Amino acid sequence: MVIRKTAEQIKDEILASLKEEPLSIEQLRKKVESNWSTTNNYLEELKKEGKVKEIISADKAKIYQRIFGDTYFDIPITDLERKKFRTLFSMVIKRYKESNQIPNKTQLAKAAVRVINSSESGLSELPTAWYLYGMIPLMIVDPSQDYQEEIILEHKQKINNIIEIFIKSNCDKKTKQIQKEQHIEYDDKLYQLADNFLELTEDNSWNRDRIFEVLNEFFIVCPINWEFKEVFNLTERFISTVRKLSYFDKLENHRTKILLTFDALWKFIATCKFYETISLKRRFSNKSVLDLYLGGAISFRKVCAEESLSDLYSIYLSKLDNRKLDLSSDAAKVKEIMQGWTGED
Amino acid sequence: MDKENFIDTNVIVHYANYQENKSIDILNKCYSYLVNKRGKFIVCYMVIKELYTVMSQLSIIHKEVLMKVKDNNHSMKDNKNLSEKDLAFAEKIYSTYKQTEVKKLNEILYSEREIFEISIERFLKTHVDEKVIPIEQIQTDLVNKLHDIISNHADCKILASALQLQKIREPFLFVTADGKDLAPNHYDFLKDHFKINYPKEGYLFPELLNLMFTK
Repeated sequence: MVIRKTAEQIKDEILASLKEEPLSIEQLRKKVESNWSTTNNYLEELKKEGKVKEIISADKAKIYQRIFGDTYFDIPITDLERKKFRTLFSMVIKRYKESNQIPNKTQLAKAAVRVINSSESGLSELPTAWYLYGMIPLMIVDPSQDYQEEIILEHKQKINNIIEIFIKSNCDKKTKQIQKEQHIEYDDKLYQLADNFLELTEDNSWNRDRIFEVLNEFFIVCPINWEFKEVFNLTERFISTVRKLSYFDKLENHRTKILLTFDALWKFIATCKFYETISLKRRFSNKSVLDLYLGGAISFRKVCAEESLSDLYSIYLSKLDNRKLDLSSDAAKVKEIMQGWTGED
Repeated sequence: MDKENFIDTNVIVHYANYQENKSIDILNKCYSYLVNKRGKFIVCYMVIKELYTVMSQLSIIHKEVLMKVKDNNHSMKDNKNLSEKDLAFAEKIYSTYKQTEVKKLNEILYSEREIFEISIERFLKTHVDEKVIPIEQIQTDLVNKLHDIISNHADCKILASALQLQKIREPFLFVTADGKDLAPNHYDFLKDHFKINYPKEGYLFPELLNLMFTK
């Protein structure tokens, strides 16, 4: 006698199959041993329930991804990793409460990263990644959640000690300061320079030379050999547009646009950096799986950065006039060397 | 009446690199031609795209030099984005400035690059009378036909834009400083090739003005 699976059983099987990586309907159909149309119908139901999302849609070649909702970009983590993360978050919140504080998102995330990266914690296998504000646990922290200690961590006492030290040394610090110190701690120059740039642009009157110094260094530090060539191209375009604009107008007059453009650029850079760090951890058998999770976000952020840069560039072009610009003797010497260069092969 | 001028990328790049009393012959010629304007200046969108590519390429050259000055073990050759010609210029800058502090050199290179970019952008804003042939309107079959003779894809697209425009315009000048593919004898060969192989299409070639070969 053939025992027919219930709808719930098939849906559970679909969700279980999507736990590790996105799959096409065809792949899912084989895993749950059902036909294309039935699998497609259940996927539509799961989509309405907010449990899966379509990430590539081309007629019959649809690819679905499971929505976990608790990790960045819904990148899958194992059940054990999830339990360890929740246990760690619970321990951090508990320690904070013991010292009559409630951690905010940054404090919780940075304390967790400190523990994970400490050789004494035994949690170094838990995934972390660089993103918008520095290094974060791959599982999204939420201080309002009632995390429980779901498992007993082997080095519980040591972990508690690390958390206590973290709380003591950061109790008086503002969120931004904690972030900045983390960037210094892990010696990530690009993040440090982004911090410096934002700090300098907080002033009412901008110190042009100091800002250019930071941007110039940003140009040197910005990776050129990443697989995302656009990171360098867009960064360079941003810096050169800001610098050129300064010949024709006060930069402060365009504060909002400059900061919005930097923000859009930074989101693109940080998403690429996120991709890079996850890719280095080799969580996926091949990079094309990671592309499925992050490809859309990277493209979207690239378009946003390009659009914002294009607006800033239009402002610069509108200000561009025929005033005489002096070339320093050193720059003139470089120009002399470049005579005959046309950029053509 | 003066003929209209369809300006090639290299002429504008040479113009932007010009320095009074310091420049080599071709830079003087390009500068002088663009400053002493006679007839309308036309630029196609592919040339504009190429100019932005040139600016971006210059920043890559500069970045490589800075990385080499910062770390002598850095190999500029490993950057696949640099052509052999780019590399030669990068090495010249490096050998001149290898003792300079990276921070200072970066400022020097930035300042040179932004003046170069501003010259190009000013030219496009104030000297160009007409921008023609959006890139998506460049005829692929014509580009492919040109590709049989000219190896550089971007050059084929620029020349295709000029040919497309010449079909609907009074004869104009195609102003270039290309000493290789668009040298006068190559251009004549190209015209003959098109006359023989594509007689029905009736392609019209603009008159060549190659500043590399003028006095």
